[in-house]
Amino acid sequence: MLIVAALRWSDQRAAVDPLTGEVRTDARTSGASAADRAALEHALRIAEAFDGRCLAMTVGPVEAEEMLREALSVGAHEVVRVEGPAATVTEDGSETARLLLDGLPDRPDVIVCGDHSADRGTGATPAFLAQRLGACQALGLIELEAVDGGLRAVRRLDGGRRERLVFGAPAVCSVEPAGTTLRRAPLPATIAARTARIPVAHAGSLRYLRAGTAKAFRPRPRALPAPVGSEPHQRMLALTGALIERTPPALLRPATVEEAARELLDYLRRHGYTP
Amino acid sequence: MTDRRYAEAAFEDVMSTVEFRVAERPHITVDTDVCRSCTTKACVHACPADLFVPTSEGGILFNYEQCFECGTCYQVCDGEGAISWSYPDGGYGVVFKRG
Amino acid sequence: MTYAGPGSLSTVVDETTKTFDVIVVGAGPAGSAAALEVARAGHSVALVERGPFPGAKNVYGGVVYGRILDELVPRWWEHMPVQRWVTRRSTMVMTPTQALTVDFRTQDWGKPPYNGATAHRADLDSWLAEQAVEAGAVLVPSTVVTSLLRDRTGAVVGVRTDRPDGDLTAGVVIACDGVNSFLAKEAGMYKTGHEAEHLTLGVKQTLALPRQTIEDRFAISGRDGVDIEMLGCTGGIPGGGFLYTNLDSVSIGVVLALTGVSKAKTRPEDLIAELKRHPAIAPLIKGGEQIEYSAHLIPEGGYHAMPELIGDGMLVAGDAAAMCLAAGIWLEGVNFAIGAGMYAGRAAAAAVKSGDVSKTGLAGYRTMLERSFVLTDHRKLRDFPGLVLSDRMQQRYPGLVCDLVQGMFQVDNPLPKPGLRKLLRRATRDNGVRLRDLLRDGWTGMRGLR
Repeated sequence: MLIVAALRWSDQRAAVDPLTGEVRTDARTSGASAADRAALEHALRIAEAFDGRCLAMTVGPVEAEEMLREALSVGAHEVVRVEGPAATVTEDGSETARLLLDGLPDRPDVIVCGDHSADRGTGATPAFLAQRLGACQALGLIELEAVDGGLRAVRRLDGGRRERLVFGAPAVCSVEPAGTTLRRAPLPATIAARTARIPVAHAGSLRYLRAGTAKAFRPRPRALPAPVGSEPHQRMLALTGALIERTPPALLRPATVEEAARELLDYLRRHGYTP
Repeated sequence: MTDRRYAEAAFEDVMSTVEFRVAERPHITVDTDVCRSCTTKACVHACPADLFVPTSEGGILFNYEQCFECGTCYQVCDGEGAISWSYPDGGYGVVFKRG
Repeated sequence: MTYAGPGSLSTVVDETTKTFDVIVVGAGPAGSAAALEVARAGHSVALVERGPFPGAKNVYGGVVYGRILDELVPRWWEHMPVQRWVTRRSTMVMTPTQALTVDFRTQDWGKPPYNGATAHRADLDSWLAEQAVEAGAVLVPSTVVTSLLRDRTGAVVGVRTDRPDGDLTAGVVIACDGVNSFLAKEAGMYKTGHEAEHLTLGVKQTLALPRQTIEDRFAISGRDGVDIEMLGCTGGIPGGGFLYTNLDSVSIGVVLALTGVSKAKTRPEDLIAELKRHPAIAPLIKGGEQIEYSAHLIPEGGYHAMPELIGDGMLVAGDAAAMCLAAGIWLEGVNFAIGAGMYAGRAAAAAVKSGDVSKTGLAGYRTMLERSFVLTDHRKLRDFPGLVLSDRMQQRYPGLVCDLVQGMFQVDNPLPKPGLRKLLRRATRDNGVRLRDLLRDGWTGMRGLR
């Protein structure tokens, strides 16, 4: 079985110029995000459980090899770097997914990614991976483990609810950095990884997504009739609505649920919302 | 003239310009029982990151997260064994990008 | 599990196969220079660094003097990541309302082979470590050396790290682990327990300013830079201040004697704030945006505070061996670290080659240091650190000098100009200085300069 950890190489502490908006990145503070590190740990655990191979990969420049060396040192069996640009590319994730799959030596059984990358990623890459592979997708997971030859996961839903998922390979998972920390690399493996050769795949180039120009939001004008009245005082009163007759708010305390429903329906009928 | 106190950036803002990769293991621990008998409490004033705060009971409240790892605290500490100090685990702790 | 701290204890191991010929602990200037020399001599060397990249934990106070790199990197000035070349050097003696500046400028320092440079340590240390890696050293980042491994005779045979399966064995361990130097202390190379007396705390803020603004305010152009050293700006705590220019930022800070800091009830950042408000400094840094704040200990004890430099299977270099020179107008450290590291690397390589890594086999290190500037300068200026941090130098002389100069240039017409002798007498009296002490300190200073 081939378990792939697809990692995104980005600066975890990019500096943004407050005046120009220019983003300055530094290779020294670049690497895998906490979510990506959790993804790598999950991939290693799944590979161990299935007795499979764990492959760590990224689309990025040569500086990203440092991240792959770390993956090697914590126990990834192999790594691949797909040649990619250093700067963030504006695209929806489909391009990255295409390059990742083209750069893989074999068809993967499970791909684990971080939930979304730190450089304004949308988190859509895993979904595109699943679509291209025809695999099932389980995204935004907070727990993921291999059980009885399949995968079991927990996903966070709104309102504090949890969704439990049970699925099998082929699958694409994306994980949140929750409760999983990447293991510490042993020293011999760290030293071996320092000089290891990092295979590079040239799978093509990332195509930029052409986005339309952003315009400021302008709501449509709403015509308001001028108030009627001969005297300015009357017009002013009309504007404020001070002397206009209105139904005062009524406070009802229905005793039962049925009564409350009847009151509501009566109100809607009175005002012409329901026949 | 602006109040002198506002001429300087707030200390928290100054500290926020530095990256700290916080390890799970605290690399500083303080035995406050020893601190209670300490009259100088030199760490409170000497620590450049302002990590040590005296408590009303005479002890010391400490943080380890925003530590510059300079070693001042254990060097100025008068109390025998009050501050145990070590380097944070590899790769964690302060990261100076300029230095 | 033990951690790298003041109480680390060595583990006794039975001699096994050596993982590396040499292990260098700490990828700062000393460590990288050592690893570079060992690797160039054709031996295997590991360069173990606790930060995520070399320089991540390091701070300095202004100027790197690069000439020692002539021996390591040909035409280093074309490759070294420099912010500015220091062509203007000012020494400022100040009181809260006065400042006397001795300002020197030479364009010779702005062209090869250059003199001093300002740099960001993260860039500089990473570059130097890169040289070592290119020569064949193995850089092991994010790894803390927690203690030494020794054989049954007590000789150092390796290090233990905080990684799983983390023991490394080697012929020679070169400890370049910085000012806290837990390894040298663990090996018993430091004698006394009065460490704090020989340490100063450096605290520094880096303020971003537009390049053009810096050039206008400091009267420089191109890659020229300024370094200002200050005396009398530390609120009575023994120490000094500094201000130097980077390409598009300036760094300002104070250096404080640790014993003084622990006595004074003033926080370091308040002293920097005070310095930044000084009428001679405020216009230079006005509008600067805080981009980094840092602090580090400095071993300023000089020659007297140095540990033993050689043990069986172990050498100490750089800040770990207290090789910072803080002798008043000379403030150097990175160059001493590079030099000491280089000689340590050479001595270790020679010892590994000859097969004798005992104290005698490594004795070449001391010889090389004594023949070079590293120990010669330190021995020559050994009484300076004490003089500079003395109460008189710190609290009395700045006022004395400023009052004297103010008296000379102040025109109190219709009173006639006072004579120099009268001025001196008045200034010494007002600042509580006895002429006898002044002469004696002058003599100490002169003797140190011989």
